[in-house]
Amino acid sequence: MKRLLYILLLSLLLAACSHEKVELLLYQQYASRQDLTVAQVKGFQLCDSVKVDVVILVADDSAAWQGLKEEFDIRTSEGVTSWVGDIDNPTLRMKGGDRPAWRAMAVHNAMTIAFYRIDTEEQLDALRNYQMNMIESNKRTETML
Amino acid sequence: MMTFDELWVQEERQGLQRRLQQDYPAWTRRRHTTQIVMASVAVVVVAAGIALSTLHSPHSTYDSVACNRSGIADSHWASVASNILTIETL
Repeated sequence: MKRLLYILLLSLLLAACSHEKVELLLYQQYASRQDLTVAQVKGFQLCDSVKVDVVILVADDSAAWQGLKEEFDIRTSEGVTSWVGDIDNPTLRMKGGDRPAWRAMAVHNAMTIAFYRIDTEEQLDALRNYQMNMIESNKRTETML
Repeated sequence: MMTFDELWVQEERQGLQRRLQQDYPAWTRRRHTTQIVMASVAVVVVAAGIALSTLHSPHSTYDSVACNRSGIADSHWASVASNILTIETL
Protein backbone atom coordinates (compact mmCIF):
# COMPACT_ATOMS: atom_id res chain seq x y z
CA MET A 1 0.00 0.00 0.00
CA LYS A 2 2.78 2.44 0.93
CA ARG A 3 4.58 1.64 -2.30
CA LEU A 4 1.49 2.50 -4.29
CA LEU A 5 1.09 5.76 -2.39
CA TYR A 6 4.69 6.65 -3.22
CA ILE A 7 4.03 5.84 -6.90
CA LEU A 8 0.91 8.04 -6.83
CA LEU A 9 2.79 10.94 -5.24
CA LEU A 10 5.63 10.56 -7.74
CA SER A 11 3.15 10.52 -10.60
CA LEU A 12 1.54 13.72 -9.34
CA LEU A 13 4.96 15.35 -9.05
CA LEU A 14 5.94 14.26 -12.57
CA ALA A 15 2.64 15.50 -13.96
CA ALA A 16 3.14 18.87 -12.26
CA CYS A 17 6.76 19.15 -13.45
CA SER A 18 5.91 18.29 -17.04
CA HIS A 19 3.65 21.36 -17.20
CA GLU A 20 6.13 23.73 -15.54
CA LYS A 21 7.38 26.64 -17.65
CA VAL A 22 11.00 27.47 -16.96
CA GLU A 23 11.81 31.03 -17.94
CA LEU A 24 15.00 31.79 -19.85
CA LEU A 25 17.30 34.42 -18.34
CA LEU A 26 17.05 36.64 -21.42
CA TYR A 27 13.24 36.49 -21.20
CA GLN A 28 13.39 37.40 -17.51
CA GLN A 29 15.66 40.36 -18.24
CA TYR A 30 13.15 41.98 -20.59
CA ALA A 31 9.78 40.67 -19.38
CA SER A 32 9.26 43.58 -17.00
CA ARG A 33 9.73 46.21 -19.72
CA GLN A 34 6.53 48.17 -20.27
CA ASP A 35 7.43 49.25 -23.82
CA LEU A 36 8.10 45.73 -25.11
CA THR A 37 6.06 42.59 -25.70
CA VAL A 38 8.37 39.76 -24.70
CA ALA A 39 7.88 36.06 -25.37
CA GLN A 40 9.88 32.88 -25.12
CA VAL A 41 9.26 29.71 -27.08
CA LYS A 42 10.92 26.74 -25.42
CA GLY A 43 11.78 23.81 -27.62
CA PHE A 44 10.87 25.34 -30.99
CA GLN A 45 11.12 22.42 -33.39
CA LEU A 46 13.44 22.89 -36.38
CA CYS A 47 13.31 19.29 -37.58
CA ASP A 48 12.38 15.85 -36.23
CA SER A 49 15.25 15.69 -33.76
CA VAL A 50 16.40 19.27 -33.18
CA LYS A 51 14.81 21.99 -31.08
CA VAL A 52 15.96 25.44 -30.00
CA ASP A 53 14.79 27.96 -27.44
CA VAL A 54 13.68 31.32 -28.81
CA VAL A 55 13.21 34.71 -27.13
CA ILE A 56 11.27 37.37 -29.02
CA LEU A 57 11.25 41.10 -28.27
CA VAL A 58 8.63 43.24 -30.00
CA ALA A 59 8.74 47.01 -29.60
CA ASP A 60 5.29 48.45 -28.92
CA ASP A 61 6.04 51.70 -30.78
CA SER A 62 8.76 53.39 -32.83
CA ALA A 63 10.27 55.07 -29.77
CA ALA A 64 10.67 51.68 -28.08
CA TRP A 65 12.15 50.26 -31.31
CA GLN A 66 14.65 53.12 -31.49
CA GLY A 67 15.61 52.35 -27.86
CA LEU A 68 16.06 48.64 -28.67
CA LYS A 69 18.17 49.45 -31.71
CA GLU A 70 20.47 51.62 -29.61
CA GLU A 71 20.64 48.98 -26.88
CA PHE A 72 21.65 46.28 -29.35
CA ASP A 73 23.82 48.59 -31.45
CA ILE A 74 21.76 48.07 -34.60
CA ARG A 75 22.85 50.71 -37.09
CA THR A 76 20.75 49.83 -40.12
CA SER A 77 17.16 50.93 -40.57
CA GLU A 78 15.65 48.47 -43.01
CA GLY A 79 15.55 44.78 -43.88
CA VAL A 80 17.02 42.31 -41.43
CA THR A 81 20.05 42.71 -39.21
CA SER A 82 21.57 39.51 -37.82
CA TRP A 83 24.42 38.76 -35.50
CA VAL A 84 25.74 36.16 -33.06
CA GLY A 85 25.34 37.45 -29.50
CA ASP A 86 26.95 36.50 -26.21
CA ILE A 87 24.76 34.07 -24.28
CA ASP A 88 24.76 36.24 -21.13
CA ASN A 89 24.72 39.59 -22.89
CA PRO A 90 23.41 39.37 -26.47
CA THR A 91 24.22 43.02 -27.11
CA LEU A 92 27.85 41.83 -27.42
CA ARG A 93 28.82 40.44 -30.84
CA MET A 94 30.57 37.08 -30.80
CA LYS A 95 32.46 35.00 -33.31
CA GLY A 96 30.31 32.55 -35.26
CA GLY A 97 31.90 29.49 -33.67
CA ASP A 98 31.40 30.42 -30.01
CA ARG A 99 28.95 28.19 -28.08
CA PRO A 100 26.54 28.62 -26.50
CA ALA A 101 25.39 31.77 -28.24
CA TRP A 102 22.30 33.64 -29.39
CA ARG A 103 21.67 33.86 -33.14
CA ALA A 104 19.87 37.19 -33.27
CA MET A 105 17.72 38.53 -36.09
CA ALA A 106 16.26 42.03 -35.97
CA VAL A 107 13.42 42.71 -38.42
CA HIS A 108 13.00 46.44 -38.85
CA ASN A 109 9.55 46.67 -40.37
CA ALA A 110 8.18 44.34 -37.67
CA MET A 111 10.13 46.15 -34.88
CA THR A 112 11.06 42.68 -33.66
CA ILE A 113 14.22 40.94 -32.55
CA ALA A 114 14.26 37.14 -32.27
CA PHE A 115 17.03 35.32 -30.45
CA TYR A 116 17.62 31.62 -31.21
CA ARG A 117 19.73 29.85 -28.60
CA ILE A 118 22.48 27.79 -30.24
CA ASP A 119 24.26 25.26 -28.04
CA THR A 120 25.47 22.79 -30.66
CA GLU A 121 26.56 22.65 -34.30
CA GLU A 122 23.59 20.39 -34.94
CA GLN A 123 21.24 23.19 -33.86
CA LEU A 124 23.02 25.73 -36.06
CA ASP A 125 22.85 23.39 -39.07
CA ALA A 126 19.17 22.69 -38.39
CA LEU A 127 18.47 26.42 -38.09
CA ARG A 128 20.19 27.11 -41.43
CA ASN A 129 18.39 24.23 -43.13
CA TYR A 130 15.05 25.37 -41.70
CA GLN A 131 15.73 28.90 -42.93
CA MET A 132 16.72 27.74 -46.43
CA ASN A 133 13.74 25.40 -46.69
CA MET A 134 11.33 28.13 -45.60
CA ILE A 135 12.80 30.68 -48.04
CA GLU A 136 12.66 28.19 -50.92
CA SER A 137 9.12 27.22 -49.99
CA ASN A 138 8.10 30.90 -49.98
CA LYS A 139 9.72 31.44 -53.39
CA ARG A 140 7.88 28.44 -54.83
CA THR A 141 4.60 29.78 -53.48
CA GLU A 142 5.29 33.23 -54.96
CA THR A 143 6.14 31.68 -58.34
CA MET A 144 2.89 29.71 -58.37
CA LEU A 145 0.82 32.81 -57.56
CA MET B 1 -1.82 -8.07 16.98
CA MET B 2 -0.80 -7.47 13.37
CA THR B 3 -3.26 -6.02 10.86
CA PHE B 4 -4.01 -7.89 7.66
CA ASP B 5 -1.93 -5.38 5.64
CA GLU B 6 1.06 -5.82 7.94
CA LEU B 7 0.67 -9.57 7.74
CA TRP B 8 0.48 -9.34 3.93
CA VAL B 9 3.68 -7.29 3.70
CA GLN B 10 5.43 -9.71 6.05
CA GLU B 11 4.24 -12.70 4.05
CA GLU B 12 5.03 -10.94 0.80
CA ARG B 13 8.63 -10.62 1.93
CA GLN B 14 8.67 -14.30 2.63
CA GLY B 15 6.74 -15.21 -0.53
CA LEU B 16 3.95 -16.84 1.46
CA GLN B 17 0.83 -14.85 0.49
CA ARG B 18 -0.83 -18.04 -0.73
CA ARG B 19 -1.46 -19.03 2.89
CA LEU B 20 -3.16 -15.70 3.57
CA GLN B 21 -5.14 -15.98 0.34
CA GLN B 22 -6.53 -19.28 1.55
CA ASP B 23 -7.15 -18.21 5.15
CA TYR B 24 -8.48 -14.72 4.47
CA PRO B 25 -10.05 -14.71 0.97
CA ALA B 26 -12.25 -11.65 1.61
CA TRP B 27 -9.35 -9.55 2.93
CA THR B 28 -7.18 -10.68 0.03
CA ARG B 29 -9.82 -9.66 -2.49
CA ARG B 30 -10.18 -6.27 -0.78
CA ARG B 31 -6.43 -5.74 -0.83
CA HIS B 32 -6.19 -6.67 -4.49
CA THR B 33 -9.05 -4.30 -5.33
CA THR B 34 -7.31 -1.48 -3.45
CA GLN B 35 -4.06 -2.16 -5.29
CA ILE B 36 -5.82 -2.14 -8.66
CA VAL B 37 -7.67 1.09 -7.83
CA MET B 38 -4.46 2.82 -6.71
CA ALA B 39 -2.55 1.65 -9.77
CA SER B 40 -5.39 2.81 -12.04
CA VAL B 41 -5.45 6.23 -10.36
CA ALA B 42 -1.67 6.51 -10.87
CA VAL B 43 -2.01 5.64 -14.56
CA VAL B 44 -4.84 8.15 -15.02
CA VAL B 45 -2.83 10.91 -13.29
CA VAL B 46 0.23 10.26 -15.48
CA ALA B 47 -1.91 10.16 -18.62
CA ALA B 48 -3.62 13.43 -17.62
CA GLY B 49 -0.23 15.04 -16.99
CA ILE B 50 1.08 14.01 -20.40
CA ALA B 51 -2.14 15.13 -22.08
CA LEU B 52 -1.97 18.53 -20.33
CA SER B 53 1.66 19.06 -21.28
CA THR B 54 0.96 18.37 -24.96
CA LEU B 55 -2.46 20.00 -25.19
CA HIS B 56 -1.05 23.51 -25.79
CA SER B 57 0.99 22.38 -28.80
CA PRO B 58 -1.24 20.20 -30.93
CA HIS B 59 1.29 20.21 -33.78
CA SER B 60 4.25 19.69 -31.43
CA THR B 61 6.18 22.59 -32.93
CA TYR B 62 7.18 23.83 -29.49
CA ASP B 63 7.30 22.67 -25.87
CA SER B 64 6.05 25.74 -24.02
CA VAL B 65 5.49 29.46 -24.46
CA ALA B 66 5.65 32.33 -21.99
CA CYS B 67 4.72 35.95 -22.65
CA ASN B 68 4.70 39.09 -20.53
CA ARG B 69 1.33 40.11 -22.00
CA SER B 70 -1.87 38.16 -21.69
CA GLY B 71 -4.34 37.42 -24.46
CA ILE B 72 -1.83 36.38 -27.14
CA ALA B 73 -2.11 32.78 -28.33
CA ASP B 74 0.94 30.58 -27.77
CA SER B 75 0.81 29.49 -31.42
CA HIS B 76 1.28 33.13 -32.48
CA TRP B 77 4.77 33.16 -30.97
CA ALA B 78 5.70 29.88 -32.62
CA SER B 79 4.60 31.44 -35.92
CA VAL B 80 6.71 34.53 -35.26
CA ALA B 81 9.75 32.35 -34.46
CA SER B 82 9.15 30.51 -37.74
CA ASN B 83 8.26 33.51 -39.93
CA ILE B 84 11.38 35.46 -39.00
CA LEU B 85 13.40 32.59 -40.41
CA THR B 86 11.62 32.95 -43.74
CA ILE B 87 13.09 36.39 -44.29
CA GLU B 88 16.11 36.28 -46.50
CA THR B 89 19.15 37.87 -44.86
CA LEU B 90 21.87 39.43 -46.94
